[in-house]
Amino acid sequence: MGLDLQQIQAFLDNEFAVQLIATAIKFAVVFAICIQVPPIMIWVERRAPALMQRRKGPNRVGFFKLRLWGLLQSAADAVKLILKEEIVPRGANKIFFQIAPIFGVIPALLIACAIPYGNDFQLFGYNIPLSIVNVDVGFLFILAVSSLGIYGITIAGWASNNKYSLLGSLRASAQMISYEIPLGMSLIPIVLIYGTLDLNQIVIGQSNLWNWGIITSPISFMIFFVCMFAETNRAPFDLAESEAELVAGFHTEYGSAKFALIFLTEYVVMFILSCLASTVFFGGWQIPFVPHDTLMQLIGGLHIPVLPYLLDLVGWGVPFLSLSLQEMGVHSLIASLIGVAVLFIKAGFFMWMYVWVRWTLPRFRYDQLMSLGWKFMLPVGLANIFVTAIIVAILNFK
Amino acid sequence: MTQLHLFYVFAALVTFCSVMVVGSRNPVTSAVFLVFDLFLLAGIYAMMEAHFVAAIQVLVYAGAIVVLFVFVIMLLNLEQESHGKVRISVPDIVMMGITGLSFVIIAFLVARVPSMATVGEMTPEAIAAAGGNTYVVGMVLFTKYLWPFELASILILLAMVASIVIAKKDKAAKPGRRRTVNANQ
Repeated sequence: MGLDLQQIQAFLDNEFAVQLIATAIKFAVVFAICIQVPPIMIWVERRAPALMQRRKGPNRVGFFKLRLWGLLQSAADAVKLILKEEIVPRGANKIFFQIAPIFGVIPALLIACAIPYGNDFQLFGYNIPLSIVNVDVGFLFILAVSSLGIYGITIAGWASNNKYSLLGSLRASAQMISYEIPLGMSLIPIVLIYGTLDLNQIVIGQSNLWNWGIITSPISFMIFFVCMFAETNRAPFDLAESEAELVAGFHTEYGSAKFALIFLTEYVVMFILSCLASTVFFGGWQIPFVPHDTLMQLIGGLHIPVLPYLLDLVGWGVPFLSLSLQEMGVHSLIASLIGVAVLFIKAGFFMWMYVWVRWTLPRFRYDQLMSLGWKFMLPVGLANIFVTAIIVAILNFK
Repeated sequence: MTQLHLFYVFAALVTFCSVMVVGSRNPVTSAVFLVFDLFLLAGIYAMMEAHFVAAIQVLVYAGAIVVLFVFVIMLLNLEQESHGKVRISVPDIVMMGITGLSFVIIAFLVARVPSMATVGEMTPEAIAAAGGNTYVVGMVLFTKYLWPFELASILILLAMVASIVIAKKDKAAKPGRRRTVNANQ
């Protein structure tokens, strides 16, 4: 079974088609990853506190002897949520009650498009970026779209026709608006230092461990780290769903698949903020002490006999036999994919931090939360911008 | 799908949402369509490769200002107004007629004159060569339009201070309320 080389060549000559296919593949992969984040995180969220509190946590669901440490519990939960009856409470605004979770999920998945998951790679002579939306204002795109996430929460709370839902949504959105400002401010020094709004360029600027954002601008990282928790309404700032006061906050009336969507939104936003934190402050896809060019050379020199053998089966392997990865032209793709894995390891650390903090720190009081945001984070963020700007101006002065 | 077709799609959606903002009975529906409206306008900006303006449009208008609209609408509970019957009076009909007529005239004129717009200096290529959207906007703001920019920011600062003063006065008028914050300490 041989493939027609001429047809393939003709297809590869059309840059638009290649980029379109590449974008479609990237969309599918990013979407699949985002969908997989909540089940895994819910499993972590149940097993991690069990570990911390010396109990077992859910570990029974499974087939025969196959239990996978309770990982199948999440699958069972997902099936349960999807198969449950859809209930709209009496007196609720039916249309808005139905579409509010969608309002939440769309911005969350849109921001996922702007993260540079790896370096641009070269394949078939084309430069293919590993972020889906490759704009030169990546930072602003993320801030702008994430600010739209408030609508899902406010509308969900309002449409439920329940005072606990409304109070919860008011708390959640007031908190998100308040902490969005220091979050944006914590990122401005990074823009000043690396001189670009393009996230991939910022990662390229962090080639060395000493250039990482956390070293060049530690105060920014501290503000960002606190705002990460406040933006996602996670403990110790989970006042929007404090059980003793507000039942479950804005999603009190939600069940079944709509509740699953709200959960999906929360965990996707957590994942994206973790990715953003690693991208901006921890070198993104860069491996410490191994520059990307060195990595590409290392991989390019490798001879993996499996790949030429597979190509031989397809019918055009003869010229590929005994070629190194560089000669086959896939070394930059593999180096970029290693970068993706590195970014996910770093983001995974932050996801673990979310769980760790939740089961360690008690909840704040609401006025404490607000005064922390407005009276401490905001002035410190402003002072940080001011000082960083002066230092950058002095260093660039010629 | 050329850029022109995409523009027609966006323009039609913007028009539809704008009509819905004015026409819907429920104030929250109006606010939501206003968000769609601003978001789609940002899409048109992005299509012209003005990414900076598009991002700022979403960040400031859709992400901040309309959120406050939604807050106010929810807290005031304007639900009652949406149940009232709409009565169309004679002046309303006259106004609708004038608006419709002017729309037809404008549409006719636009259709007659093919294109009066010419391409200016700031083409996407020129902006990319000059260092990108953000750089160009920043340079213009901080050199050519520095004084208007600074004056505008002072005006906004004044408005902020004024609103804080007004809000505070209201609170000071009711003594005894202040204690609640410190009650737990």
